[in-house]
Amino acid sequence: MAGANGRARRVVVGKAWEFPVGGRKLIVPFRGRAGIGVFNVGGTLYALRNICPHNLGPLCTGHVSGRFVASGPPSSEGATLTMDRDGEILRCPWHNWAFDITDGSCLGDPNLRVKTYPVSVEGDDVVVSYADE
Amino acid sequence: MAIIGAAPIAAPGWTANKETGVRIVDCDVHHSFESAEQLLPYLSKFYQEHLYDQGVHFAGGGYPNTPLRKTRNDLKDPGLKRRDFNFTLEFTQRELLDPWNIDVALLTGSPSDIYGAAGLPDPDYGAALCRAFNDYTIEHWLERDERVVHAILVAPTDPAQAVAEINRLAGRRDSVAVHVPLSTALPFGNRFHDPIWEACAEHGLPVVSHIGGGGPSGNTMTPVGYPTYYMETRMARPAAASAQAASLICEGVFEKFPTLQFAFIEVQQLWAVSVMWHMDFDWKAIRDQTPWLKRLPSEYFRDHIRVGTQPMHEPERPEQLPWMLDMLHADETLIFCSDFPHFDQNDPVTVLPGISDHMRRRIFSENALEMLRMPEA
Repeated sequence: MAGANGRARRVVVGKAWEFPVGGRKLIVPFRGRAGIGVFNVGGTLYALRNICPHNLGPLCTGHVSGRFVASGPPSSEGATLTMDRDGEILRCPWHNWAFDITDGSCLGDPNLRVKTYPVSVEGDDVVVSYADE
Repeated sequence: MAIIGAAPIAAPGWTANKETGVRIVDCDVHHSFESAEQLLPYLSKFYQEHLYDQGVHFAGGGYPNTPLRKTRNDLKDPGLKRRDFNFTLEFTQRELLDPWNIDVALLTGSPSDIYGAAGLPDPDYGAALCRAFNDYTIEHWLERDERVVHAILVAPTDPAQAVAEINRLAGRRDSVAVHVPLSTALPFGNRFHDPIWEACAEHGLPVVSHIGGGGPSGNTMTPVGYPTYYMETRMARPAAASAQAASLICEGVFEKFPTLQFAFIEVQQLWAVSVMWHMDFDWKAIRDQTPWLKRLPSEYFRDHIRVGTQPMHEPERPEQLPWMLDMLHADETLIFCSDFPHFDQNDPVTVLPGISDHMRRRIFSENALEMLRMPEA
């Protein structure tokens, strides 16, 4: 994960049992005092910077839920209203902007993304990597 | 008829040539009847008696305290015998169509005379009056001048009768829109109105909505109550238009009827910028509440909603005009409206000084022709 002028840094952020399925842990500080959030979504770990790219809110402390899906307006014939991807969508506590935990993309704005970091499990250790540039 | 009409200055040089010039489509030409008796031939005996019994006092029509009795002083009876002279085609030809080189004139009725029918407490009488007014318009206006087209006036208070009226007239070449006055008991997006929108979409007719039509006071209702003075009520119109636009978008009307278009007339313009910007902003935060919206609200707006020029904002500094048109996406959304013959009319010479040729072609011609589905006009 080294940048052109940097090298990969690895940080052990906890033991694997600290990240149960559906759980999260804030790692503060991590490259600054805002830190990161590490989420276990269905057995896979994801790390997101705890700074919302919208207005710099503490994104990783927000509500985790799913994505709301409608086949059409509720008053249209046969419309279905459902939620999918339960546990994969994070909503910032400041303005409710929704982000996809699995890739950091913003659901309401394709031009916006929260920074993500690779996470690996090495033995009992959970390791987050970043490029030291 | 002794009218001392002030002759307008020459029509703009960029009009009049049907091959190369910019054709002028005027989407707000008010017309009326001289006397309500002219509606009698088109009313059943039952409603003829209503007319004699109740008269034409439709409070909800709006404009109860309009200055200059709403009409240009050079075009009206200086006494009080007649309120307006725009009850004959000849008057409109002489004072508007001919001197200004108007190529297509969309008749929108007269707020104080007939819009109130759309909001009458008795929906059956309202529908009957709208039907009669449409028939009067066809016989006395549309069939006598090819430049003149109309928006089918319907009362939204009974959607079934509104649909029947749309179906009755939609096949006419000169019935190019449906007119539902802007002030309503329920917002446009409410599913109560869906049958009307469905009929419009089926026939490829846009909905043209002029301010007026509903509410007991006649002055546009605001979220804080009824305004007192005319200037106040004008300031309330952008709020009314904003509410209707937001309702249509939020309720998913344009998902249900993807070809449907609306034009909001005589409500000013900058509200449209505010609605587009604010709805996009909110949608990013609270889109979970309306997940049936597949696109940014501003994208629905730009595809489906048009805004009339009159009364056109005049920015504080001239250089702000192009900025305003840019923010409005005026090359998509803005349509020329004269509001003839009212005192606050726009004319094509002075309404948008110094705009580009492209913008002029879009605003005076193409935006409206596309909306009205009149490619050959």
